[in-house]
Amino acid sequence: MENVTQPADNEALRRSFLGAPDGVAEWFQTTDHKRISLMFLGWTAGAFLLMMIMAIVPIMKTLGGPGMSTRLLLETLTYQRFLQVIAWLVPVLPGVLGFFLLPLQLGAANMAFPALSRCSLRFYVLGLVLMIGTLGTFPVGTGWTLDTQLSQLDPGAFGVLMFALFFLGLSWFLTGLNFIVTVHHGRREGMGFFDLPMTAWGFYLYGYLLVASGLVFAILVLYLAASWVTTDGMFGWLADPMLWRTYFWFALRPVVFFSLIPGVGIVSDVISGLARKPSTGYRTMVGSLIALTGIAVISYGASLFGQGLSPAGGLVFSFLSLLAVVPAALISFTWLSTLYRGSITCAAPANFSLAFILHAGLASLLGLFLASPVLGRYLGATMFVSAQLDYLVWGAGTAALLAGLHYWWPKMMGRSYNNDVARIGAVLYIFGLNLALIPRVLMGSKGVPQDLAGIVPGSLHLAEISSLGWLFVYCGLAVVAGNLLVTVWGKDAAERNPWGATTLEWTVPSPPPDDNFS
Amino acid sequence: MIGSANLSAWFPEWASTHAPDVDVPFFDIYVVSACALVVTVGLAVVFLRTYRRQDGDPDRMPAQGNNKLLLGVWVLAAVSLGVYAFQLGLAGYVAQDVAPYGATEIGVTAREGRWDFTYPDGTVTDTLRVEVGQPVHLTLTTADVAQNLSIPAMRVQQPILPGRTTEAWFETIAVGSFPIHSGTFSALTQDSLATAVISLSTADYDAWVAAVGDIFAGRTMAEVGELLYNQQGCKACHSLDGATVVGPSFKNVYGFEFLTTSGETITADDAYIKESILTPNVSVIDGFQPVMTPYAGKLDDREIEAIIEFLKTLSERGHAAGQEGK
Repeated sequence: MENVTQPADNEALRRSFLGAPDGVAEWFQTTDHKRISLMFLGWTAGAFLLMMIMAIVPIMKTLGGPGMSTRLLLETLTYQRFLQVIAWLVPVLPGVLGFFLLPLQLGAANMAFPALSRCSLRFYVLGLVLMIGTLGTFPVGTGWTLDTQLSQLDPGAFGVLMFALFFLGLSWFLTGLNFIVTVHHGRREGMGFFDLPMTAWGFYLYGYLLVASGLVFAILVLYLAASWVTTDGMFGWLADPMLWRTYFWFALRPVVFFSLIPGVGIVSDVISGLARKPSTGYRTMVGSLIALTGIAVISYGASLFGQGLSPAGGLVFSFLSLLAVVPAALISFTWLSTLYRGSITCAAPANFSLAFILHAGLASLLGLFLASPVLGRYLGATMFVSAQLDYLVWGAGTAALLAGLHYWWPKMMGRSYNNDVARIGAVLYIFGLNLALIPRVLMGSKGVPQDLAGIVPGSLHLAEISSLGWLFVYCGLAVVAGNLLVTVWGKDAAERNPWGATTLEWTVPSPPPDDNFS
Repeated sequence: MIGSANLSAWFPEWASTHAPDVDVPFFDIYVVSACALVVTVGLAVVFLRTYRRQDGDPDRMPAQGNNKLLLGVWVLAAVSLGVYAFQLGLAGYVAQDVAPYGATEIGVTAREGRWDFTYPDGTVTDTLRVEVGQPVHLTLTTADVAQNLSIPAMRVQQPILPGRTTEAWFETIAVGSFPIHSGTFSALTQDSLATAVISLSTADYDAWVAAVGDIFAGRTMAEVGELLYNQQGCKACHSLDGATVVGPSFKNVYGFEFLTTSGETITADDAYIKESILTPNVSVIDGFQPVMTPYAGKLDDREIEAIIEFLKTLSERGHAAGQEGK
């Protein structure tokens, strides 16, 4: 990365969104999309950090940890997945990069509904705090899929947890709504839909999934809470568990497994920016993302393989989810041909984009195994599925966030980071994650059940290799996060447009002024 | 097929006829998708290194279109991969759903902390014993929460859902013991239910069936009586706690005196109980209807003796009377 080392321009900083008026009250009351994005970054990073600490418990258990009660393990696994999926994977890209970039890329001063952005953040924080509150007092141990009868039996603060999930779902819904309306009404004069940067396309399309899934999920957990209170009703003790499972995956499959959509948008912009050339197939890319959004909605049954889906249903959903190979091929081809004969700045965002391509590719190919009818039935309730979800959470989602953060950090904070340290962190993270997750894939095909419910003899050495991998991941992420954090107090002011990119956000000063373009 | 490599790194040993149906498609998809990943990520790495920004490069590179021919080939390859994955093992998928004719029927119930396997002759065990080469058809139910019947060595993975009956079948091809687990933490038991399939040779299996078929082996006479009480349908009409259901309760019967419908007074001794089992409607206790099924030909003398011993344990006069009887 081409840094220009110069004394920090305090005047520019003071006039930016980071400058005055400063103070807790101003940040609490703000409706500025950039401040909301930074607060989302803080809260989601907090959720991720808590999840990383909790993840040590199951790692110790697979290594034969001493005197650990099964109940503790159950609760840990439950909250770990809630934090990973509900509080990280789904909201992190829209919350952090979506809120920051969307108005800037459209040439707007703010989101279409500034107060609604603040609402998204507040509901997110409320949900997160309530969830952590139940964890600290009366934790729930049903597993994150909240199976009907297990929910009924749970002695924890189940009702409160459901309200936490309700607020988190509501936050997704409001975020998605805001994105859609902002893209429709916030575009600069003369900017058509086919002039939108890919990142904006990704968030626009993911907005539809957030609206649909967020609302359905929020309502479902209220029904579940009501059934828990009355022990009766749709999801009561006597209810068919398939009803809940189907609704649950109908709501969550699109946003969870297709959280790749905003990631693809971000990585497309990063690749085309670093290669200093326009994407070779803009319309191909847009079409692929639209197709993926459609497939996201109709392929929910693929998460029911091995969970009680009928044999005929297995064939139908196998076919529907395999449709995704076509957009996946178009996307990967466009990336490769954009890189081909480019003039590529090999900086940290390139490493994280490569991490995204590798991890999203692995998650999709593991999905290919699960979508094959006969293999889906055998692997659908094993560690194989957990490994696929881990590749989405720790792999694709995290890599897309880090690629985006390293690409736009100079714009967001007006500071340059140390590129070499970031790349060392990236290598540690990529190496460690695959060392951690490939043994879990192997444990899956050997038949170890998905929630670490038992250890098949002979898999202990796999668990050992995996935990060594996690050590590398934790070190890598610590290096990356530390490297970004120290820039806040650093003196390296960033250029206005370090990558020579052409999208609108690079035309404003770094960090952007309060009202962006004036 | 590509998947003929050493499978042991990925899968448990082949112990059932389902194993090739799962393992071969797995390895075919594995090889093909590994190639796809290596090509895609490999090209990205190569391009990143080859087309590094050089001094003197223009600020922006010229726009380019996708190469239509290459793109077509690339998409076609991906579609073939999808179609390949879909059709691969389709026959095995269907075969896993339809149990062969003549399979041994075994009922499986997952319940608080244990598995119950019920064989055609009514024997219930907590490990699943099967005969090599003989298919078994499992009918799965759960007494509490949703569970999974997971037998990795047999490549059997079947959810068990409350309020539903699901099915699975397999045929072992190897002798040995193979783990079964439930794949779900139960909120009731706080643990995964673990047991095993014990696959036996035909001779061993027959010996085992004969052994469990002999209800007297390893049981006292009273225990055999209790088993027969549960198995032969007695418990439908005769309670053990003094409550009157259809027939008189078995509590405090042995050694007591009763008035019959014909006005006689009888003592419920060995001879009367034996008569009441074989020809129950000849001498009926006052206040009851002559509606019991005669058990003549269904129970032999030794089994009736066992039931009498069981009734003695339920009666206040049973102990003393039993002493006199001997």
